[in-house]
Amino acid sequence: MTLTDAQQLGYINAQAADGRVNVELETDDGMVLNMGPQHPATHGTLRLVARLDGEQVTSADVMCGYMHRGYEKLCEVRSYPQVTTLVNRIDWLGSFANEVPFILAAEQLMEVEAPPRAQWIRTLLFELSRIANVSLFIGDLALQLGAQTPAFYAFRDREFVLNQIESVTGGRFHPNFDRIGGLKDDLPKGWIAETKAAMVRLRAFCDEMEGLVYGNEIFQSRTRGVGIIPAAVAQSYGLSGANLRGSGVDWDLRRDANVGLVYDQLDWKVWTHPDGDSYSRCWVRLQEVREATTIVDQICDGLPSGAIMAKVPRIIKVPAGEAYIATENPLGQMGYYVVSKGDTGPFRVKIRSASFNNISIAPWLLRGVYVPDIITILASLYFILGDIDR
Amino acid sequence: MGLVESGKMPKPLTKLLNLSRKYSIWAYQWGLACCAIEMGAAFASPRYDVMRLGVIPFPASPRQADLVVISGTVTDKIVPAIKRLYEQMPDPKYVISMGSCTNCGGPYWDSYSVTKGVDQIIPVDVYVPGCPPRPEALLEGVVLLQERIQNEDMAARWRGEQDRQEPIIVG
Amino acid sequence: MAEDTATASAEAPEIVIDERREELRAVFVAHLGEAVLDSVIKPGDGLWIRVATDAWAEAGRVAQGKADCKYFDFLSAIDWLPSPYGRYEDSALDVPFPPPMPERSAAVPGYAGGESRFQVLASVAKTGTDLRVLLKVDVPDDDPRLATWIRSYSGAAWHERETHEMFGISFDGNADLRNLYLPSAFEGHPLRKEFPLLARVVKPWPGIIDVEPMPGEDDEPSEGEGTE
Repeated sequence: MTLTDAQQLGYINAQAADGRVNVELETDDGMVLNMGPQHPATHGTLRLVARLDGEQVTSADVMCGYMHRGYEKLCEVRSYPQVTTLVNRIDWLGSFANEVPFILAAEQLMEVEAPPRAQWIRTLLFELSRIANVSLFIGDLALQLGAQTPAFYAFRDREFVLNQIESVTGGRFHPNFDRIGGLKDDLPKGWIAETKAAMVRLRAFCDEMEGLVYGNEIFQSRTRGVGIIPAAVAQSYGLSGANLRGSGVDWDLRRDANVGLVYDQLDWKVWTHPDGDSYSRCWVRLQEVREATTIVDQICDGLPSGAIMAKVPRIIKVPAGEAYIATENPLGQMGYYVVSKGDTGPFRVKIRSASFNNISIAPWLLRGVYVPDIITILASLYFILGDIDR
Repeated sequence: MGLVESGKMPKPLTKLLNLSRKYSIWAYQWGLACCAIEMGAAFASPRYDVMRLGVIPFPASPRQADLVVISGTVTDKIVPAIKRLYEQMPDPKYVISMGSCTNCGGPYWDSYSVTKGVDQIIPVDVYVPGCPPRPEALLEGVVLLQERIQNEDMAARWRGEQDRQEPIIVG
Repeated sequence: MAEDTATASAEAPEIVIDERREELRAVFVAHLGEAVLDSVIKPGDGLWIRVATDAWAEAGRVAQGKADCKYFDFLSAIDWLPSPYGRYEDSALDVPFPPPMPERSAAVPGYAGGESRFQVLASVAKTGTDLRVLLKVDVPDDDPRLATWIRSYSGAAWHERETHEMFGISFDGNADLRNLYLPSAFEGHPLRKEFPLLARVVKPWPGIIDVEPMPGEDDEPSEGEGTE
């Protein structure tokens, strides 16, 4: 093959941009390895084109857009209550958490505040969706490193959380439960006790995983010291969630910029890890699940009584203005910049999703690593395709 | 093999062949979006356990698969890959379209980048509606597909005499 | 400048001074001087600063350095022109397509003002706090082009790619402005207001067709019910 490097990469990129699937190509100085768009190690339809020198990656390019659904445009032609149905599906593992920042932004513009009980239940469901999301991550993480059993365990125990979410909201996945001014419904009877029992199971699951996966020698040797992100780089790329805290940056919006939720009234801890490698990111996530189960327990104990819906007009018109609300979602910071012109629907919605920033570091991070490390690094960055492409 | 190609399959043999095809479906998981997780729950979780129905959900390649479950939003960018996947599969092959997005575009019916239904590019045998459908709904789709496989006339299909059957809609 | 702002707080019954955000704004005013065209503070919530087009790269440097907002949140743009399709609520086949574009003067900017149709918006934050700056900049109408922020924030690269794809705004200094989401042959910039959602043009939103009275209500739709 006599193509120059530039031609070669141009060819690959042109193919990638058009969504065609190409195979591995060998050139004079190295090989181009294509992963995806449908690859078990890429959580869906992400595509990675890596240039290799032997077993080492010299440059990597991430192609996304296979799941681009045009959320920001669609939000402009939906009314406010319709938008929540849509944004549920951005991060599909922690759906309820997607609704919260949007609803809070709309509430801020309307100058409405949800009653205390609604705020508590919101926080409760927010944490439950974190557990549902991250527990699957732990199983999937092990799956990508070649262990199947933890994935089965994760699916098994995650069902208990989904049961609880379903019995409140009616949906296993996409609750569409949050309303401007409160919530759609109250908790069903006997739910609190069931939830506490489920949290006991989830804590047992965390302990099990800590021994089975995190304590595993192979897992440790594949993740420790691999894919190190210094704190300054993490901030410059705008990483968030466990990716940021795994690099030692002590910043959690739940504690530092709490809006509309009740984290300031609960006793909990923000976990950080100074190492910044793949292991620390995964470790922080595990601790956060465990912390979330205790948060849920506290909310179950301290749930105030009262109304769950503030007085809002039936036809929702949001006054003109701009608001940006970000919350600490399971994947990291998720924010909505809502511009309203006093209409029934938003004028412009910018969705700041966590995974988009989290994956944008991949080209930087993958330079110089070995091929098997691509898998562990991508797994530890933890992205969801709907959250990247929107 | 020769019997099928000759087009003169005795009835009991057809039945036997169909029975064995029905309970050894290799299903390729083409998970795209939210539905992929529910498909994972149906195919890989101990609670739903699709293997008891005789479906093996882990073929290494579409070239070994009898069934592909397309689950999730099909965008215009992924369409060529889906088309190629379908062409790679050996006949007889079946397609389950799982979820509203795959069926018709779903909540993204007005989007500029979403394909409004995977049936525009490949023929679909079973539609499973829902957003996302529960794992049970997918399992019902699998069972209905198995019933259809049981009643198929392989020889007629080989001769090209059998018309394409109407797709099954679950629910 | 700092004096002609604080509109958000001036209308409130009691004037709340948000000292931390005032300080942060003072940093920008001190280092950018005349280039800070306007700013708004919502006490306890947010700080918006609009800078001059030429000073955009410098604003990034100040934010990253002197203002100590090391955390890059996002960068995007806003098209202030109203959509010629409205909210597609009365779209039908007999509506002329494409409809006439709205007058240029119909573009009314939001917080911190603005003179152009497109505005680029970026958010940076100070980790460990709830302080966040939303920086806005006008983009020239005839040549939508801006300096890149890659030198200050590496994460801006992908966001600028996205903005280029969605709005057609170029960023000088960002060499990699390939399409991020859409196939390379895709025509148009989807988030510009004149970009049509064709499915909606040919088919009206089903939600406005089947309006039924709620149970327990009168048969005739109450005010606003039938049209929303």
